[in-house]
Amino acid sequence: MIQALVFYVFAAITVASGVMVISARNPVHAVLFLILAFFNSAGLFLLAGAEFLAMVLVVVYVGAVAVLFLFVVMMLDINFVKLREGFLQYLPIGALIGLILLVELALVYGSWSFAPEAPLSVATRVPDLAVVTNTDALGRLLFTDYFYLFQVAGLVLLVAMIGTILLTLRSRPGVKKQNIARQNARTKETSVELRKVPTRGGI
Amino acid sequence: MANLWTGYIWPTAITVAEIIAIIVPVLVGVAYLTYAERKVIGAMQLRKGPNTVGPFGLFQPLADGAKLFFKETIFPTNANRGVFLVAPALTFFLAMVAWAVVPFDEGWVLANINVGVLYLFAISSLGVYGIIMAGWASNSKYGFLGALRSAAQMVSYEVSIGFVMIAVLLCVGSLNLTDIVHAQAKGVWFIIPHLPLFIIFFISGLAETNRSPFDLPEGESELVAGYMVEYSSMIFAMFFLGEYANMILMSATITTLFLGGWLSPLPFAPFTWVPGIIWFVLKVCVILFGFLWVRATMPRYRYDQLMRLGWKVFLPFSLVWLVLTAGVLEFGGLLPK
Amino acid sequence: MELPNFSLALPEIFIALSGMALLILGVFRKQEATQGIAILAVITMVLAALLVPAASGNRAETFGGMFVVDGFAVFSKLLVLVASSLCLVMSVNWLVKEKLERFEYPVLVLFATLGMLLMISANNLIALYLGLELQSLSLYVLAAYQRDSGRATEAGLKYFVLGSLASGMLLYGSSLIYGFAGTTGFDALAKALEHGAPVGVIVGLVFVLAGLAFKISAVPFHMWTPDVYEGAPTPVTAFFAVAPKIAAFSLLVRVMVGPFGAVTAQWQQVVVFVSVASMLVGSFGAIAQSNIKRLMAYSSIGHVGYGLIGLAVGDQVGIRGLLIYLAIYLFMNVGTFAIILAMRQKGRLLEGIDDLAGLSKTHPMMAVAMAIFMFSMAGVPPMAGFWGKFYVFMAAVDKGFITLAILGVLTSVVSAYYYLRIIKVMYFDEPKEALDRGVSGSLTFIMGVNALLIVVFTFIPSPLVSSAGAAAASLFGG
Repeated sequence: MIQALVFYVFAAITVASGVMVISARNPVHAVLFLILAFFNSAGLFLLAGAEFLAMVLVVVYVGAVAVLFLFVVMMLDINFVKLREGFLQYLPIGALIGLILLVELALVYGSWSFAPEAPLSVATRVPDLAVVTNTDALGRLLFTDYFYLFQVAGLVLLVAMIGTILLTLRSRPGVKKQNIARQNARTKETSVELRKVPTRGGI
Repeated sequence: MANLWTGYIWPTAITVAEIIAIIVPVLVGVAYLTYAERKVIGAMQLRKGPNTVGPFGLFQPLADGAKLFFKETIFPTNANRGVFLVAPALTFFLAMVAWAVVPFDEGWVLANINVGVLYLFAISSLGVYGIIMAGWASNSKYGFLGALRSAAQMVSYEVSIGFVMIAVLLCVGSLNLTDIVHAQAKGVWFIIPHLPLFIIFFISGLAETNRSPFDLPEGESELVAGYMVEYSSMIFAMFFLGEYANMILMSATITTLFLGGWLSPLPFAPFTWVPGIIWFVLKVCVILFGFLWVRATMPRYRYDQLMRLGWKVFLPFSLVWLVLTAGVLEFGGLLPK
Repeated sequence: MELPNFSLALPEIFIALSGMALLILGVFRKQEATQGIAILAVITMVLAALLVPAASGNRAETFGGMFVVDGFAVFSKLLVLVASSLCLVMSVNWLVKEKLERFEYPVLVLFATLGMLLMISANNLIALYLGLELQSLSLYVLAAYQRDSGRATEAGLKYFVLGSLASGMLLYGSSLIYGFAGTTGFDALAKALEHGAPVGVIVGLVFVLAGLAFKISAVPFHMWTPDVYEGAPTPVTAFFAVAPKIAAFSLLVRVMVGPFGAVTAQWQQVVVFVSVASMLVGSFGAIAQSNIKRLMAYSSIGHVGYGLIGLAVGDQVGIRGLLIYLAIYLFMNVGTFAIILAMRQKGRLLEGIDDLAGLSKTHPMMAVAMAIFMFSMAGVPPMAGFWGKFYVFMAAVDKGFITLAILGVLTSVVSAYYYLRIIKVMYFDEPKEALDRGVSGSLTFIMGVNALLIVVFTFIPSPLVSSAGAAAASLFGG
């Protein structure tokens, strides 16, 4: 009973904050609601017994991705009122597309059926969670059956990184950079010169 | 009815009692950490430190608390009130919540969850929100600059902290904090094989808690007091408490990961008589002393140096060390389980 | 524990490793190493192409059935590798002349090629998606490569936003399919769909089809094509026009014929519609264009329509026609883009069709090559392009898609108008200002080789036809 209650609390907050993300007037508030939504989704994962995923969701999405979102939204001076000017104009067509998708979804849901093999092929992947921990089971699956996908996902991230650097890194001329190795390698002999200055003579 | 009592109310009461049993000592610890800080730094600078309020100035933290409590709360004009108030509460709350998984002694842990390390990591990565929200909501240039600095700093150093944690976890084969201590009981404390990681973790911990020499977010000489500049009275106190509680938490994490948690340093008679909690507190105090010592000794880093250290020194080093650890464990036949 | 059979993925592993090695080399040697790295990247692709057939033989799977190699994959991979390496050779000269030498360029081309190879070998919905993303992400960056040019950044951004939308549709469709079958593997999906598919799977299939149609720029998911082709740097456009299309086409064929082979009737009508719409838009849209890159964009939309006829037929003969079409399309397009890249006036790149005026007098050899490509694209008998269309249309007629074939013939007559217009401009218009002489060796080489290949296909089509036939047969378990 308590579990159901907690589920509904988490689910309700997730949905409500999702609505707030798109309806909040202040973009910073929107991002904060997004974070709340992530957080409650992590709670839902916990309820489903996926503790590792829950924690990773918080670490990655809340702890890193959303921080950068917040950064960008706070620093860019975007006039969101202006951005939304055309909103009403496109609302009817957007609503129409949404409605069509909803009807389709309802149709799909109404006539949903599972392939006879489906339960079996899903079940074979899940080990007994009473014996192995969640993290262990995920790791085993990820590094054996899904090894190939794991590697390709790594490559996708590598390309994303190359792309970001390529498109944004500019080498500006005339920037003075600190060269720590050279600084540390300096000795008294190479940097200081002691001279006897004759009186009234100067150097 | 009896079911309701044994099933719900009694366990809840016990949990609440346990929570109080953790939070109260932590808060007292925080109060006396501020006292210790002033005394230690005073001693290092050949001053006396607080010595007027009570014997040896021992009541000084209470006096400070009372002063803050009776001050007026000031809201800057055009501050975003909601976020302005949530920020310190969040910082304080997160600093308390994290203690749920810290094992103080064999079995002395509120929630012995399987992913304890990740939980700690997740909570500490959330800490940045309190700061960035405070800086933004204050509607102040200094506050905002401090918040941006701090956010970038914390996100950067989290990366190397994460890698250090993974290297330790490899040697344990579990994400459970109690298991980590048990693994050290069987072998050696992880500070011995992983000394460089311990140093990296300690320094990253300084950066993560915005402590000197990485206290740029509040650098008072340039940013007045950074993200806290507009805060006063109790909302300021909450930040303050949260920050010091985070320091203690970081020390507790280091203790658990590297210094064998509640284990006694020498596993034979006179030492094992001492209860584990004492050892734990002692170790935490040693690390905390390190925090204070650094503050009294080191000048503040420049921001580009800070970023360089995090991304160009710690990150590659901890990555290489992680691969090295994995290799040694795999080929030396030392893998756990 | 049992290790997967890595030898099947040898070309991919080789490209991935050399891509990373070249990246490291570039980081240490900075921008001056760009040319060297580009040459090394071309060598990598050639070596990989040599490795590809080594893994052939019969159909074989590895990595838990997620990666498949068969005759079809080998054929498509060879086409992709040839296309990528030719495009990279063309780019080197452009990079130098435009002073845009950055070592990431060849590395990104290499990774995009890797993504295409992974797409061709995908035997699982997740593998499909990851391969597609690896390819698309590299292409988004390449489109915006000229980051100081407003048009290029706009092209990159447009491509990125619409591409993400397409990926989203693909994922949504995949999730519906997974929800039905409980598996993402193609073999298991085929088995699950043997007893027919419920509405949910059909909706999912349509979404997957839409996502993939975007990647081959088929109508109605073609809106990005002219703008991106125009805005992106020309060598990148050349790359866009061939390699990703070949890869996405093979992926489309594998998905439709493999797991959804049992529900052919369901997707056939969609493909027929997309094919007809692409042919129409491709032929009529290009008429009004004055920019040659935009013209090539519409032309490629039209060619996609013809290729899709082969898929719509859906049998071995149709797929054979599609493969022949793709191979010929590759060489025609690369050659044409080599000529576009050679259109410089006082060192500046030109893109107008009018700028070709009088090419026959100033650059007679180039004009001959261009004429060969244009005649071939228009499908004038007996050029190679004619044979490509011929095999596709014949397959359609055999299977009773007579209307489709007639529409194809009609639209190719319309499209002949603008292809022939280019020839007219080259041979009969008076030149205003001559193009620069001294076209770089690599471009001349590519023009020559492609023109030669087109001529060879024209008179000796049988090697290509038979190898394409073998590739198509391997897909149908023959």
